[in-house]
Amino acid sequence: MNAIDIRSLRKEYKDLVAVKDLTLTIEEGELFSLLGVNGAGKTTSIKMLTTLTRPTSGDALIYGNSITTHPEAVKGLVDVSMQETAVARKLTVEENIDFYADLNGLTQEEKSMAKGEIYEAFGLAEVKDQRASTLSGGWQRKLSIALALVTRPKVLFLDEPTLGLDVLARRDLWRLISGLKGKMTIILTTHYMEEAEALSDRIGIMDKGSLRFVGTKEELYAASGKTSVEDAFIEMVSGGKKNA
Amino acid sequence: MRESLHRIYVLAKRNVKEIMRDPLSLIFTLGMPLAMEILFYFLFHGMTAQFDMKYLAPGIVVFSQAFLSLFAGLLIAQDRSSAFLTRLYVSRARSHEFIFGYALSLLPLVAVQSVLFFVVGGIIDPSIWSVGVLWCVLLSLVTALFYVGMGILLGSLCTEKSIGGIASIVIAGQSLLSGMWFPPEGLNGAILTIMRCLPFKNATELMQRALVGFTNATDFFVPFAVVLGYTVVVIGGAIYAFARKMQAK
Repeated sequence: MNAIDIRSLRKEYKDLVAVKDLTLTIEEGELFSLLGVNGAGKTTSIKMLTTLTRPTSGDALIYGNSITTHPEAVKGLVDVSMQETAVARKLTVEENIDFYADLNGLTQEEKSMAKGEIYEAFGLAEVKDQRASTLSGGWQRKLSIALALVTRPKVLFLDEPTLGLDVLARRDLWRLISGLKGKMTIILTTHYMEEAEALSDRIGIMDKGSLRFVGTKEELYAASGKTSVEDAFIEMVSGGKKNA
Repeated sequence: MRESLHRIYVLAKRNVKEIMRDPLSLIFTLGMPLAMEILFYFLFHGMTAQFDMKYLAPGIVVFSQAFLSLFAGLLIAQDRSSAFLTRLYVSRARSHEFIFGYALSLLPLVAVQSVLFFVVGGIIDPSIWSVGVLWCVLLSLVTALFYVGMGILLGSLCTEKSIGGIASIVIAGQSLLSGMWFPPEGLNGAILTIMRCLPFKNATELMQRALVGFTNATDFFVPFAVVLGYTVVVIGGAIYAFARKMQAK
């Protein structure tokens, strides 16, 4: 079953075409990584798919619900963790979770269940009474991603979730993201090629707003003649000019 | 409707916690105006009518409300500059729910300001106690809405860095163009006309007249209509600006 069905999605800003007629389907339960250099159109694509910005033309269906005609239905199915840490800094970890659950209309029972699962998966119970502002960058990012799971979305968008984290915190988050695989459909954007290599079922490469490649790692290696995602990515977006 | 009210309540509850946990907001909205009320009364009482407690206390209430524009604006600008609001935009909350969530969260602080400055004023000068105090507390909710709306508007338009400077213009406007520190009748005609057209003097006079007692209907309706008009425009502008920013995200 297709979780996401993107049909000629396009976004223009005055003279700039940020996303050029993107067409793509993503299966339910798949972890799909979207790679691209800065300005490739990854974040704009996510913003359109999460109803944060309207497409100039085209459409996308999230479990059959159009992002242009039924954005309210889409909002009930998706959640997002953006590049920047998105937490209420003066609230404690538990207050952050409670706030986000209440805002999304979860019942007490649903909230307790979500909290229990999040504490267990992310190890947040030990800092639940600490204000978010007093947490380290790694813990704040964990909380930020955890909040996106409070609503138990069917589709989770992770926009560069490990950006700026040290290697240990990054590996810790990889473990968490791996644990989510199969439980929901995940669309991950990242600049870390090894992250895409380790986590993805399929990889998409965007360049200047267009989708250049979609397939598995093995298909990417075959198409580029390379043996790593990084080399294959460079081959795809710059024709092999590594230092360009 | 019920879901919408619930979301407004949840947003307001979060905002109250954010504001109350910022010591600076309490210092500027409560501590500093209180110190000014006490200090200015004892330093200048008897020099001009402005420093009689019946005029000073309501003036201080409105002056302290001007700081709400700074803190409401700062909270929104900070939420906007972080990805926190972006996350909330993906929820089902609508732009007007965010606006009311921000506005309602400041009303408890408005009530505390009014009660505190009138109680302290009444202890210093018991002659101010009258039914007018109750009128003032009620009307302070209206004047506060203007400043809160202004804060939401500025917070929707300005960055976290620029909000301090822009909001200080509103605070300076309240201080200099309200007539709370000096008799405005001594100023030249053009300045007095400007003061009468802006909300600052009208908000202050509305409260001062409520305390001493309205002498006729015009005493109430003119300043009330001016303040209410500005409030409607500012809140309408805030909802529009906020919705535009939401869409721009």
